[in-house]
Amino acid sequence: MTPNKFTAGIFLVFAIVVLGVWIPNDVETGLLEKMRRHWVIGDSLAPTLAAGFVLIGAVLILLFETQDEAQFTMVSAQFVFFLKLVIVILVALSVMRHLGPILVNTYVAISGLDLEYRLLRDMIGIKHIGFLIGGVIMVGGMITVVEGRLSRRALIIGLIWSLVLILVYDLPFEDLLLPPNGDV
Amino acid sequence: MSVLDYIWLGILAVFQGPEAFSIFGLAISITVVMVISGFFLGILVGATPGLAGPVAMAISLPILISTFGYNTDALLPVLGFLIGVMKGATVGGAVPAILFNTPGTPDAFMTTLDGYPMAKRGEAKRALRIAHFSSVSGDTFSDLVLIIGAPFLAIMVERYLDLPEKTALLILSLSFISAVVGGSVGRGLISTGLGLLAVYVGTGEDFYPRLSMGTQTLAQGFPIATSVLGVLIIGAVFKELDELRSDQRASRMKPITTSDTNSALTLAERVKLAPTIFRSAVIGTVVGALPGIGSTLAATLGYTAAKRRHDDTEGGKFGEGAPKGIAATEAANSAVSGANLMPVLSLGIPGNAAAVFLLLAMDSISGFNPSPTVFKFDPVNLNPELVMAFGIFTTMFLANALNWTVGGRVMRTMRFMIRIPKHILLPSVLLLTLTAIYVQETRIEALYFAVGFGVLGYLMRVFGISPLPFVIAFILGAKLEETARQAYAATGNDPWFLFTHPVAAVFVAVSVGVMILTSRKRGSV
Repeated sequence: MTPNKFTAGIFLVFAIVVLGVWIPNDVETGLLEKMRRHWVIGDSLAPTLAAGFVLIGAVLILLFETQDEAQFTMVSAQFVFFLKLVIVILVALSVMRHLGPILVNTYVAISGLDLEYRLLRDMIGIKHIGFLIGGVIMVGGMITVVEGRLSRRALIIGLIWSLVLILVYDLPFEDLLLPPNGDV
Repeated sequence: MSVLDYIWLGILAVFQGPEAFSIFGLAISITVVMVISGFFLGILVGATPGLAGPVAMAISLPILISTFGYNTDALLPVLGFLIGVMKGATVGGAVPAILFNTPGTPDAFMTTLDGYPMAKRGEAKRALRIAHFSSVSGDTFSDLVLIIGAPFLAIMVERYLDLPEKTALLILSLSFISAVVGGSVGRGLISTGLGLLAVYVGTGEDFYPRLSMGTQTLAQGFPIATSVLGVLIIGAVFKELDELRSDQRASRMKPITTSDTNSALTLAERVKLAPTIFRSAVIGTVVGALPGIGSTLAATLGYTAAKRRHDDTEGGKFGEGAPKGIAATEAANSAVSGANLMPVLSLGIPGNAAAVFLLLAMDSISGFNPSPTVFKFDPVNLNPELVMAFGIFTTMFLANALNWTVGGRVMRTMRFMIRIPKHILLPSVLLLTLTAIYVQETRIEALYFAVGFGVLGYLMRVFGISPLPFVIAFILGAKLEETARQAYAATGNDPWFLFTHPVAAVFVAVSVGVMILTSRKRGSV
């Protein structure tokens, strides 16, 4: 299968699923609705047109762009590299979100004190730990994926950059919250 | 109140706004300080391969809003900063293009063709001076056209366009962007369709938020910051890292030093370059006024036009270090930025990524709604939005004045930025972008959405689909639906309102015509 046909095929299937399955089952009103004895535009019309654009685009590629081949190649090494990057980011985000509350809960379990992360999220250090470690994992991990080896330099860059962002976004502004302090 | 009164009030709003500090008793307004800061940051960012003006604009927006707030007083300092970044980045983009054969911004690609050969033969500083002179000339020309053109465009829109015509105009803008941006009409349509589909998730008039799959997470819809920054910036980070993996060329190349001593441009040389610069400035301005085309195409058209008229015996061959090649490219890509604000200020339609962030800032801060009413000259009652518009124009000229006076020198000192390795810079940009999104949205789902949109942006680039139509469709989608609903109601539930109103019908016909013509042209290449 040529790259153009592959691209068109993916979006053709996507558009058909959106038009045939998603919109009919997940939008309450039709294309036009009668409301208080007046016809009004329903909630389905706009997404139907949007999916229609995708469908027409895919059909145009299939019918008229036969000579414009070799737009891309997705080799397995490229896919694995990209997957590694995404995994590093997702792990880093997960650490950002949960590390602070987990540490506080662990401390509570050991000490028996009546505490929770929410009450400590204004405290310097506690409120930054998730962002700091998550940031080191994200920046250091991505550099590691590109370089193909874990280096102390990558981790130090991640640490310094995370500290810089804490200094820029958090310390001068009381109303700006770093992850996960807006969620807890 | 006359027009001159409005212009004067706009100038005063910039120079006599809230004071930042004073020098010998002379108060320096915060807006002036912000324009200067934005301008220097823009040159720095533009000179860094892998970064671009929109990245800096996106990241600084939440800090700016947090610092200045959401009221009208915040408008000029925030927009002044963003405009400074936009203009600085355009000039800065030429630095790595000339010294490192790598464009700092995509629109500086054509600058590498003649800039790098000039640098290789020991004329790096001279090439940078030509780039600066051409860039600032094109930019200033474009700003002048903006000031004259935007009010006229607004008057025309207000006089001739009612709700059906405005709906058709939005369709025309989206069709135009789909047709001319990216690899092909089909790919442009896919990108536009995906952008519209994304913005319609979790919205609608019914009690049930449409396309939310019954989940609370999707019921709130996708925040604009997650989709725009995800597709534009995170997607670009993924793609750049991918290219870095497959191409180790950049790491092997050494930047060229700027050691040439006799680098000054004489008046005669400037006069010689003037026709090329003027031609490119006109091309860039026309291209910039049309939504979605952007500076990269303007640079290509400007370069091609100059090449066609160039005499190879005079100043060397194009592609081998011809000064006119640099001048043509830089004048054209810089001339886009001013004219691009015409559809932004008069219609609220962004033309490129930089304009998207200016529009987001205007949307966030109260007191300025880009629309034809901005340019309504009211001789009796003061129109504060018009004063703001002239204030915005003043910040643009302030940035230009900085560019003419110190921009060249600052630009030449930024050559150290090209030494920062991309594989260190790009993960840092990613963390910065995610942080900027979180401080705006304050929920971790927003970061997962942003990464998801980043993956989409990456895949779109892999499939040869430009992400710009997606972003512009996402921004205009809600407005398009709302205008269509109003037009349908206002025309007495006429389902054919796009075809029964002559101007609307012409816009729809042009939309279809643009698609067909572009398809045929591409097909014949």
